[in-house]
Amino acid sequence: MTAEAAPRICTYGNGEAMLAFGPASGPHLLVLQPLFEEMNRTRSLVVAVCRGLAARGIGCWLPDLPGTGESPQALDGLGWADWRAAVPQALAATGVTIAGSIAFRGGALIDSVVPGRHWRLAPTAGRSLLSDLRRSALASGSDPATPAGYVLSPTLAEPLAAADLSADDTNRTIRLVRDEHPADRRVDGIPVWRRPEPQRDDRLAGLLADDIAAWIGT
Amino acid sequence: MTGATATIEDQLRAILRDVLGVDAARAEAIDDATPLFGAMPELDSMAVAGLLTEIEDRLHILIDDDEVDGEMLESFGSLAAFVRAKRGA
Repeated sequence: MTAEAAPRICTYGNGEAMLAFGPASGPHLLVLQPLFEEMNRTRSLVVAVCRGLAARGIGCWLPDLPGTGESPQALDGLGWADWRAAVPQALAATGVTIAGSIAFRGGALIDSVVPGRHWRLAPTAGRSLLSDLRRSALASGSDPATPAGYVLSPTLAEPLAAADLSADDTNRTIRLVRDEHPADRRVDGIPVWRRPEPQRDDRLAGLLADDIAAWIGT
Repeated sequence: MTGATATIEDQLRAILRDVLGVDAARAEAIDDATPLFGAMPELDSMAVAGLLTEIEDRLHILIDDDEVDGEMLESFGSLAAFVRAKRGA
């Protein structure tokens, strides 16, 4: 086994973090992560897919949205427009031509900002993500104003509640086999975004990287 | 794939396995008296929310926010009874 090149650490916008994987040549994709708690749970899968794509000669750019991950900004001061505005800033900072996006779960809610084609894993509506946060607060008896510890401004929560998936012919949607929502392909795997403990699913990551490589190569 | 003859309990066990990662032996051992929220380590408050969303999607029911409380999630039996009532079975 050859050693994998470590991702390069970049910044975009106002000091936001972005990891870059893979060669400078070949196609490049912007990676949009899930939102809120699902981002933490899927981090291992997302990075495994990026490494898999890099090994297949495809460049991946993985920004942390403002107020998430390594961001220097606090989430409570940010709105939905800030997340959408971050995407072109990240695109500009790559310095390469981006062929399209790969989005996981709620990341697909902002993929229409990315020019080109859009690949999605188990995309979901904003309303469903907010419902999960609200029910988490209800189940634990905690303050519904800060569900699961997140402080969401009305300028984030209200547009997110209305945010749904854009539909166009350039999208490719992958879902797990037990998910009955419309999909171009269903694959077997662990719904890692649901698991309370972060989990790896290397078989799923490899399968997804193969699917993306075939999709972007066609 | 759960067939048409799978009981609500069987379907809920399958969801607990898939969503929470409960292993097969533990899932088989779950019965009506098995305590859930507050007792099952996988079932933190975010996991409860995800579990309910998956139950809605897979068992084709809609759960209202005011129905989400400790009583419904107290035990496997109370969750199964809730789902059965929702399905009108």
